[in-house]
Amino acid sequence: MTVSLLFQSLMLGVLLGGLYALLAAGLTLYFGVMRVVMIAHSAFLILAAYLAWYFNQQTGMDPLLSLVVTVPLFFAVGVGMQRLLITRLRPATLTMMSVLLTFAVALFIEGMIGFVWSGTQRRIQLPYSGASVEFFGARIAVVKLVAFALAALSLALLYVLMKHSRFGQALRATIQHREAAQLVGIKTDRVAGFGFGLGLATAAIGGTALSLDATIYPSLHWHWIGPLMAIIVVGGLGSIPGAAIAALVLGVGQSLLQVPLGTTWAQTIFYVALFATLMLRPQGFFGGRLAQRF
Amino acid sequence: MGVALVLAFPTMAPNAYILSAGIVVASYACTATAWNFMGGFTGYVSLGHAAFFGLGAYGTGILIRDLGLPSFVAWLLAGAIVLVITIPLGIAALRVRGASFVIVSISFVLILLLVFQAWGSFTGGSDGLVVPRPFPDLLRPEHHRVFFYLFAALLAVMLLVWWAIDRSRFGTGLKAVREDEDKAQALGVPTRNYKLVAYVVSATFTGLAGGMYALWFGDLDPIFQFSIMLGSYMVLMALFGGVRHLFGPLLGALVVGTGLEYFKLEFGDTQFHLVATAILLGVVVLFMPDGIIPAVQSLVRRFGPQDSSIREMTAAELLEHNRAVAAGGATAEGTTAVGHLERRGGATPTEGQGEDVGPRRGGPGGSSRGTSERMEDAAPRPRTGPEEER
Repeated sequence: MTVSLLFQSLMLGVLLGGLYALLAAGLTLYFGVMRVVMIAHSAFLILAAYLAWYFNQQTGMDPLLSLVVTVPLFFAVGVGMQRLLITRLRPATLTMMSVLLTFAVALFIEGMIGFVWSGTQRRIQLPYSGASVEFFGARIAVVKLVAFALAALSLALLYVLMKHSRFGQALRATIQHREAAQLVGIKTDRVAGFGFGLGLATAAIGGTALSLDATIYPSLHWHWIGPLMAIIVVGGLGSIPGAAIAALVLGVGQSLLQVPLGTTWAQTIFYVALFATLMLRPQGFFGGRLAQRF
Repeated sequence: MGVALVLAFPTMAPNAYILSAGIVVASYACTATAWNFMGGFTGYVSLGHAAFFGLGAYGTGILIRDLGLPSFVAWLLAGAIVLVITIPLGIAALRVRGASFVIVSISFVLILLLVFQAWGSFTGGSDGLVVPRPFPDLLRPEHHRVFFYLFAALLAVMLLVWWAIDRSRFGTGLKAVREDEDKAQALGVPTRNYKLVAYVVSATFTGLAGGMYALWFGDLDPIFQFSIMLGSYMVLMALFGGVRHLFGPLLGALVVGTGLEYFKLEFGDTQFHLVATAILLGVVVLFMPDGIIPAVQSLVRRFGPQDSSIREMTAAELLEHNRAVAAGGATAEGTTAVGHLERRGGATPTEGQGEDVGPRRGGPGGSSRGTSERMEDAAPRPRTGPEEER
C-alpha cells in the first residue's frame, strides 16, 4: 500500500465519517429526549435521498435545493411522530416498544418507496458528478466534498443551537433530567417533540448529501442502520460528541480497511467495535450517565 | 381439538400449495414460540433471532454437504453448534439491557448476512446452498406431509418445555427479571445466568427450526435466512398472540403467518407486503401490546355473559374474604404460582399486573369477576408493599 493510497482512503474515511457523525447525532437526539432507538432513522435518510432524486428528476434543478422543502417537512413529521405515535406507548415498556414501532415505520417507508418509485436502482446525474479535485496527491470527488461540507455545516449549526440558544439549553436540560427541567418551567413535551423533529431534519440533510454520489434503492437503509447503531453504542448512548467521535474513528477505520479487505469485510469493523464495546465498556467509550441503564 | 386439527390438516389440504403454505406457517409457529422463550419470559426483545435460524439452516446444510452426515444427525449437530455459539454471544449481548440489547441483536443478523455473503467458498454465497433431501424417494406431496408432522412435533416439544419452564422456579425468576430486573437481582435471583440459559434455549430451538426448514426447503440463500424481516416476523407473531401465554406465539403465527402468505400471494410483485406487515406491527404495538389473548379476554369480560351476576360479592363479603386471605396467605401463599412469584421476585409487577396474574390466579381470588375485579386486584398489593420498601 502506497502512502498516497493510504492518504486517499484516509481522506475518504473522514468525508464518510462526517456524514455518519451527522446521522448519529440525530439518532442520539431521539434517544436523549425520548429514550427511543429510532430504527426508522436510516429509512427517512433514504426517503430524503429519493425525494432529492425525484426533485432533480422533475425540475432538473440541483438536488441540494430540495432541502428547502425536505428539512421543514421532516421536522414537522418528526414532531408529529413524537406527538402521535411515541407518546402513546406505555412509559414502562417505552424503550422496547418504540424500537418495534419505529421498525414498523421503517418497513412502511421502505415498502412505500418501492411501491411508488419501484425497486429500481436510482442515481442522480449532475454536471459535476465526475469532477474531482487534487488534494495533496489524493483525488477527491467534488460530490463527496459537497456532502461532507453539508454534513459539517449542519453539525456545526446543531452544535451552536444546542450550546448557545435558549431552546438548546431547554433541550439539553430535558435530556439530562426531565423532571428537573419541568420544575424550572421547561415545557418538556414540546421540547421533546422539537428534539425529535431536529433529529429527523438531520436525516433529511444526510439523505440529500447521500443522494449526490450514491446509487439508491429501497432496501438500502438496512446497510446504514447497522453502522449507525454501532456508532451510537460505541460512543455511548445519549452523547452527541461521543457519537461524532465514534463516527469519525469508525468511518476512517472502515475506509482504511477497505484497501486490504474489500468493502464487505470492511463493514464488519462496526460490529467488531460494537462487541468490543460491550465486552469492555457496555456504557460506551464516551458515554455519560445515560448509557448505564440502557 | 387443536391437536386433532393439526394432525388432520395435511389430509384436508386441497392441494400442494396450501400444504406448503401450512408448513411455512408451522415453521413460523416454531420460530415464534422459540423466540418467546426469551422475549416472553424475560421481556428482552430480540429482533435478531433470524441469525440463529440461519445458523441452524446453514449448519445443517454444510454438515450434510461436507461431512456427509445423515440428515437428522446433521440437524441435531447443527442445533448443538448453535447452542455452543450462543453462549459467548449471549454473554456479550446480555451485558446491556433494553434498547442496546435490541441493537446488538439486530447487529447479529447484519453481521452474519455480511459474512455468509462474502464467504462464498464456504457458504455458497449468493448462489445459494443446496441441501440434499432427507427422503429422496418420496414424492413432493408426501415430502410436504412428512415435514408438516416433523414441524408439528418440534412445536409440541417446544410448547412442552415452555410450559414446564413457566411453572418452574426458573421461569418465575425469569418473569421477575421481566418485571423489574434490579429488584429481582437484589432479591437474589441469579439474573445473568437465568437470562443466559433462557437465551441459549431460545436460540437453540430457533436453530433447530432453521435446520428443519433447510431440510424441507432444500435451498438456502443468505438474503432469506439472515433477514431482519424473519426476525421481525417472530416478534410480531409473538406480540400479536400475547407473549405471556403458552399458545400466544402459536396463535399469532396462525393469524399473522396466514396473513403474510396471503399478502405475498396478492402483492408479491410489489413491495406492498412490507407496508401491510408494517401496518400490522404498528397496530399491534400501539393498541394491543399485550396481544390478542389478553385483549380478547378483557373484551369477553366486559361484553360477554357476565358470570359476575351470580358470583358478585358485596363489599362487606369482599372485605371479610380479603381478611381471610391475608390471614391464611402467609402459609398458603407459597403453593400458588402467584405467591411463588411474589416471594421470589419480591415485587409483583406494577405494570400490566392485572393481565398477567389475573387469568392464572388459581388461588382464592380466581372466581370473582366483573365489578369486584378492581377491588379484588387491589387486595394483594398491600401485601407486597412492605417488601418493596425493604
